[in-house]
Amino acid sequence: MTQSFTSLPQELQLATSAHVKYIQSLDSRKDEYDYWLTEHLRLNGLYWGLTALHLLGHPEALPRAETIDFVLSCQHENGGFGAAPGHDAHMLSTVSAVQILAMVDAFDDLETRGRGKAQVGKYIASLQNRQTGTFAGDEWGEEDTRFLYGAFNALSLLGLLHLVDVDKAVDHIAACANFDGGYGVSPGAESHSGQIFTCVAALTIAGRKELIDVDRLGRWLSERQIAGGGLNGRPEKKEDVCYSWWVLSSLEMIGKTHWIDKEKLTSFILSSQDTDKGGISDRPGDMVDVWHTCFGIAGLSLLDYPGLEPVDEVYCMPKSTIKRVLGR
Amino acid sequence: MPSKGKAATKPKATETPATTTSNPTTTNTTSQTASQPSEPTTVLERSQQRFEKTRPFEAARRQQGLSRLSKEDQKGWICDQLLHLTNRLPAASRSCLLGPKASKEIWWTVNGTNSIVRGLKHKPEPYTTWGTDRNGHDVGSYTIERFDERFRQRIALTALQVSSRVFRENVEREKRGFVDARSGREIIVTEREIDEEKVRRSKMAALKKDLYGAITGKLAESVEWEDVVPIPHEEPEGALAAITYPAEYAEAMSYLRAVMTTKEYSPRCLRLTEHIIAMNPAHYTVWLYRAANIFALGISIPDEIEWLNEVALANLKNYQIWHHRHLLVEHYYPTISSDPDALAQFAKQERDFLIAILSEDTKNYHVWSYRSWLVGKLGMWEDEEELKSIEKMIDEDVRNNSAWSHRFVLVFSNPKYATPGKAATEKDEKVPQELVDREVKYAQNKVYLAPQNQSPWNYMRGVLVKGGQPLASVQGFVEEFVNKLGEGEEEEEVKSTHALDLLAEIYAEKKENEKADLCLRRLAEKWDKIRGGYWEWRRKCLTQSEREKAPGEQVEKAEEGIAAA
Repeated sequence: MTQSFTSLPQELQLATSAHVKYIQSLDSRKDEYDYWLTEHLRLNGLYWGLTALHLLGHPEALPRAETIDFVLSCQHENGGFGAAPGHDAHMLSTVSAVQILAMVDAFDDLETRGRGKAQVGKYIASLQNRQTGTFAGDEWGEEDTRFLYGAFNALSLLGLLHLVDVDKAVDHIAACANFDGGYGVSPGAESHSGQIFTCVAALTIAGRKELIDVDRLGRWLSERQIAGGGLNGRPEKKEDVCYSWWVLSSLEMIGKTHWIDKEKLTSFILSSQDTDKGGISDRPGDMVDVWHTCFGIAGLSLLDYPGLEPVDEVYCMPKSTIKRVLGR
Repeated sequence: MPSKGKAATKPKATETPATTTSNPTTTNTTSQTASQPSEPTTVLERSQQRFEKTRPFEAARRQQGLSRLSKEDQKGWICDQLLHLTNRLPAASRSCLLGPKASKEIWWTVNGTNSIVRGLKHKPEPYTTWGTDRNGHDVGSYTIERFDERFRQRIALTALQVSSRVFRENVEREKRGFVDARSGREIIVTEREIDEEKVRRSKMAALKKDLYGAITGKLAESVEWEDVVPIPHEEPEGALAAITYPAEYAEAMSYLRAVMTTKEYSPRCLRLTEHIIAMNPAHYTVWLYRAANIFALGISIPDEIEWLNEVALANLKNYQIWHHRHLLVEHYYPTISSDPDALAQFAKQERDFLIAILSEDTKNYHVWSYRSWLVGKLGMWEDEEELKSIEKMIDEDVRNNSAWSHRFVLVFSNPKYATPGKAATEKDEKVPQELVDREVKYAQNKVYLAPQNQSPWNYMRGVLVKGGQPLASVQGFVEEFVNKLGEGEEEEEVKSTHALDLLAEIYAEKKENEKADLCLRRLAEKWDKIRGGYWEWRRKCLTQSEREKAPGEQVEKAEEGIAAA
């Protein structure tokens, strides 16, 4: 279903070039206090920035060769990637690394200059708890459905999903289903939009969507939209642009995006932009950051905002990349 | 070598202008040596003057150019050059440079011109021998006094370094159990010596800073970390996202890397992790290492938790803190699991803190997930205080969805009456009817406080599903919130859209489709327009309600059919 955007006020346009410049500038702020404090997110940040650029139609805005070099410099002998050179390997940064390499079409570089796909797959598989089926983030053992989704995401892109016990993992996700139709971070934990995305996307990758109570989940998700048009993460919480992705992509995966008001959501996201300096924030008036920029743009793409590359709702990457890598 | 060449010696700093007359001022020369130098103001000037005094021909050449010198002076210059050239050669090869005849001639000329054999070595301009100071100024520009002062500082630093080296060697000897050769006793490093060294180190750090602008990190300066060689962060060449760290953080991380490599577990490592966490609590590796230290050193878990509490209060959005706590509890649990009193005591301590931190951030997801895990771990289902605490939170804010979610876990995963492993979404026959009734009543009472608040409505539905009760069993309650539906804009009263939604479901359950459709239509038209798409879909489902509502796939297919139409 296409949206007519003639009803949108003229001043609410997507400030594409400002956003591109903002993302490009992120790497140059090295002496800012925040830069080193968020070092443990560096590779993830690169994934968010790159995804946004691809969806904005400017994949070349970050230099490809340096990007590949940086990603590979974060890899450890065990195949896993750390958040930055010298950081220990972790699931989240490993997933970001695989996603980045997929987007810039550099799996060959991973084979020739990196440790190779098989080693990455081995690292990810080693983080699965074979008893419960769930995944840890690193040897420290923190368990979270985000890591489960990450594992499925990266392994499927590498064509190595068979390395893990998919069925056990799926059972674990089913155990995270709550009385209100949502999913939490672990069995019994409160339903949360972010965790719902990870569970639904993981089930989609595993081909087990039939386990989802679509009506109840869809209803819970549609209730995330509040009067201002934005979406929140849980009942009675504030709207936040990043939920435009977590909630919307979940609705997309269960085929219920028409259960929210798309125009209002679009307006909300566009109002959260900084049209001068670029970037998107969590809600209108707040400071921008690359995380919200990525998910705001991904949300707009799902909403069929004109001029954006289509985004894959399961992988949060351009559909063209997924087509190239997975052939669908 | 001809001995006559030792005619002049190197002039000294205290040289007066009078000594310049020892320069070659043979009558034939028309060269002008450098004009009488004034007293040098900087050390650079002084060195230059010294140079010119011992290398007058070179000085003259620099001033006037070789072609303008007199023939005598030119010859003198050439000999000068050759002299210095040969001086640099090893003795054995000197005679090879020129044949004996040429050598003789050079020496004859040298004697005649009274060249100074041992002149200062030629140095190319600019004459920067001493480098720059901490402010980037050329040390050559210092006055003589200031330079001497600097020299004294350097001597002082060297002296301190020598003493410090003695201390370090003694520490090493002590470690290896060396015996003092003279006294025959084992070498011990006394408290006093350690204190002296500490003072020495801070003096050294101050001097280094003053002289070279070098900042000695606290760890590098400390006696405690003496034996550890820090591993600095390695950035690959031209990294895309290279980072400038604050010095203190960089230093601490380099020491962390060093001790992690050697897998050292000790009090000082524990202190180091605390130091780093204070600067960057989101760094997951340092938490991992801290946990390893806690376990290896057998630190009291309750003590560690007390420390962790402070950190948690200061960093409300941090994930790592809660996982660390999780690890601590897992580790601690076996030691108290067989002691009901100890368990109860620990549960109470945990709850007290959770209440405190939740009062700062009532819906903190990490805290709540930890809390629901803890209930299972410590078996707190029967703990009245836990239930009371949750009720209190709901009393304070009936909209706190996290509290509602926790209540469901607390009540319906109690192994006393819940079937273990039963999904939250499944009916459980084991659950007593009284409990179902109680919970429904509780939810309903809270609905009255804020009818549009979603949480108790979701809760009530969840309870009804658990108890296997039809939605229609609460129809009376639901109807209290909807009045005169469809009787016109003025008349219609809807105090809660959730009530209207549930009412539609109840009617559908009872197959009263017309009534259900009315509810849904009014929701789409007026009461909850933003979810128009959803209400329309529900209406369409009604028209297919003759065929049983199929889960998931079939409904989607039906919907696609509708959408295409």
